[in-house]
Amino acid sequence: MSSYDVVVVGSGPGGSVTARECARAGLRVLVVEEGERVEPGAVPAYSLEQMRRQYRNQGLTVALGRPPIAYTEAACAGGGSEVNSGLYHRPSAELLDAWSREHAVEALTLPDVEPWLGTVEDRLQVQGRAGELPPASAALARGAERLGWAGLDVPRWAVPGPGHPEKQTMTRTYLADALEAGAELACGSRVDRLDVHDGRVRGVVVAGRTVTSERVVVAAGAVQSPALLQRSGVPVSGRGLAVHPTVKVVAEFAEDVNDPADLATYQVKEFAPALTLGGSASRPSLIALALSERGWSVAGEPREAWRRQQVYYAAIRSRGRGRVRSVPGFRDPVVTYRLTREDLALLRSGLARLMHLLLAAGATRLLPSYAGAMTVTTNADVAPAAAAMTRSRAALMSVHLTGTLPLGERRGGVVDSWGRVRDVTNLWVNDASLLPDAPGINPQGTLMAIAHRNVDRLLRGDG
Amino acid sequence: MPDLGEPAALTVLTGAGGWFGRAWLRAHAAPQHRHGPVPTGRVRALAGSPGEVTGILEACPGAEVHVGDVVDPEVLQTLFAGAEGAVVVHAAGVIHPRRVDEFARVNVGGTRAVLEQARSAGVRRLVHVSSNSAFGVNPTPTDRFRHEEPFRPYLGYGASKAAAEAEVRAAHDPGTLETVVVRPPWFYGPWQPVRQTTFFTMVAAGRFPVMGSGAQQRSMVHVDNLVQGAALAARVSDVGGDAFWVADARPYPMAEIVRTVAEVLADEGYLVARSRLPGAVPGGRRVPALVARGAERLDRLLQSRGRYQQELHVLGEMDKTIACDIAYTRERLGYEPEVELREGMREAVRWCRQRGIALAPRADGAR
Ligand SMILES: Cc1cc2nc3c(=O)[nH]c(=O)nc-3n(C[C@H](O)[C@H](O)[C@H](O)COP(=O)(O)OP(=O)(O)OC[C@H]3O[C@@H](n4cnc5c(N)ncnc54)[C@H](O)[C@@H]3O)c2cc1C
Repeated sequence: MSSYDVVVVGSGPGGSVTARECARAGLRVLVVEEGERVEPGAVPAYSLEQMRRQYRNQGLTVALGRPPIAYTEAACAGGGSEVNSGLYHRPSAELLDAWSREHAVEALTLPDVEPWLGTVEDRLQVQGRAGELPPASAALARGAERLGWAGLDVPRWAVPGPGHPEKQTMTRTYLADALEAGAELACGSRVDRLDVHDGRVRGVVVAGRTVTSERVVVAAGAVQSPALLQRSGVPVSGRGLAVHPTVKVVAEFAEDVNDPADLATYQVKEFAPALTLGGSASRPSLIALALSERGWSVAGEPREAWRRQQVYYAAIRSRGRGRVRSVPGFRDPVVTYRLTREDLALLRSGLARLMHLLLAAGATRLLPSYAGAMTVTTNADVAPAAAAMTRSRAALMSVHLTGTLPLGERRGGVVDSWGRVRDVTNLWVNDASLLPDAPGINPQGTLMAIAHRNVDRLLRGDG
Repeated sequence: MPDLGEPAALTVLTGAGGWFGRAWLRAHAAPQHRHGPVPTGRVRALAGSPGEVTGILEACPGAEVHVGDVVDPEVLQTLFAGAEGAVVVHAAGVIHPRRVDEFARVNVGGTRAVLEQARSAGVRRLVHVSSNSAFGVNPTPTDRFRHEEPFRPYLGYGASKAAAEAEVRAAHDPGTLETVVVRPPWFYGPWQPVRQTTFFTMVAAGRFPVMGSGAQQRSMVHVDNLVQGAALAARVSDVGGDAFWVADARPYPMAEIVRTVAEVLADEGYLVARSRLPGAVPGGRRVPALVARGAERLDRLLQSRGRYQQELHVLGEMDKTIACDIAYTRERLGYEPEVELREGMREAVRWCRQRGIALAPRADGAR
């Protein structure tokens, strides 16, 4: 391989925005992606097969702690955008102001970011649903309406397709644009480390060989980016990992609600940003897994019971933080997360409110996803079922990972307000790691706008 | 403004000797704008014990006072004699009993008995005074309980109030007995019991602990605001079966509550000790949240063994946010709380002074 103007590590939303903008500016760009390329639609969405082919470690990654938090990272061309739900939110002015204040970030107010949000929305064709809510969403909307709680059917980067909506993933949009503008994509190639010497990066090391480049932009996601920097000898603590700890509930209704190929896009935002309630992927295999682990007897039930079952979640903004540490000799970093007492209280409250809502929506029985959980059928069961979710029994997960390399001018920060690594002149980070905190909304839209803002600065050369 | 139904000729009040009970009776006798459409017809009052009668008559000399246990059907039969078309305000309950089983006996059993007797007497509407304790604590300082919330009772008292509220709402039967629930948080204002006086005394002495940062928030309700809420719940049409938070216009940070009480006491001529601890609010001292957690654990343990210790219970709640959103109550009942913390606390302090209740040494050396 020859020398490049820019090597981008990772082809997720952050990397794809970076690659496209650099290629369009006429730079020679190489995108190095560890995962394989899977055409959108080639494997069923939200399926176990997708987990095997498009997720890191088949989706079985865990942040150690009490309780542990299972998290998922995509590993494929397009990164998380290929597998995710496609839900889009604009960040609020308050959120960006708080980040600007707490991390001394330059030019990160809503007016600074707004033009880039517009660019992202246009390219991804972000749009609301036309027509009726599907049953799993309608149940949430009905519950919220009955309780007087605010919610919305969240816009998506999905266009109506034959059958199911077509998500505007990176391979369909930004990554395709990048390739069209001349960028190269190397899939199945893992960057083991960066070649850093005397405050400059010379290139990336793949399978023992260095690919040289004028600049390197790391966009490997909030867990892999800090780990890669650590492996490359850049001093990075890996602290600050922020997620949205999430607890789930399987709900059963009298009527069919489950559309295995899609998920509920409605979110209850009455308690936002602290707490969001919504719907999860509910493939029969996932439901079977959830139920069999918890001893919900399916024996003697109609075989198609899953059609009446749907998984819902309560996700919180967490005060706890995690840490990413790469360990010499091991491929994957060790990830830990410390859930605070307040986090656990908020999760219990979220779980109770979610169950209250689902009962109001007409669910006939509920099974919360923690070890030894009781089945909930009436309002009186809600309190004991929420209270019984202790640290030792909780089974939490998160799909939103941020915070490991927060942008800003704070002393001791690894990167500046634009994602540039302070100690290495020609090295940048441009992905979800930069978000100083888990935002309380689905993060991809926000991180893409910030990635646009950063790469614009990089290209103008005043970064 | 929501529609008001016809006022009832007779109001029957249980828990008449309590804090709210006497404030309600006072409003009967001397209604003010802040009390809303408080009924002015006849009032029949149930006292839990003979010792309460004087206090009841002080608040409302014209009240017809009955004495007896609210779970006793015979007592209730007399209380509800000829009560057809009446309004019942059910405020009897125990908060700090000696034994935990009193919660179920009085708060649940009493409510059930009152519902039953009210129904057979042909009472038109029953207003039940519930509590924030049925809903536990808020998970963050900025969280607010909404009109619709899952019950998450805080220990024995909370569980009994949750059970009672559920029964009251389920008992709603349009055309026969309508039921409406009001949910007040922590009270303040005239007619206060000894435990509130202790609170004032501790603040004056600089000994009231503000747990943790003091940023935890508390909804409070001045008793006259609660009277307005209950009066509206008794009168507004088409709210049967529903429940309403009745609190002051906004929740207050704990540190503000303690500071306000200290300032009002000083204003009113009491000597208020300044706390010596650094970072403390005037009239209070900061204590690590750990102390509250320890107290909470001990409280749980004791309650699980049937014992109840008031100080421990109160201490265990001190680092928590307990705050509600009254938007729905404003909308549906037309509720507009008129009394605010400083003014209301001043009224309470003056009420104590008028009755010769000692709170702290007087600044002028008088007694
Ligand atoms: C199941 C799921 C549902 C989600 N739903 C939503 C949603 O509805 N809305 C929303 O906004 N967000 C959602 N998210 C989150 C969103 O997908 C992520 O925030 C986003 O993908 C992060 O982008 P990124 O560029 O930081 O990293 P990623 O998307 O994680 O991309 C990083 C890429 O880098 C590659 N890589 C890592 N290390 C190396 C290496 N050493 N060498 C080469 N390549 C490497 C990885 O294989 C990966 O492809 C969801 C996530 C998941 C998993």
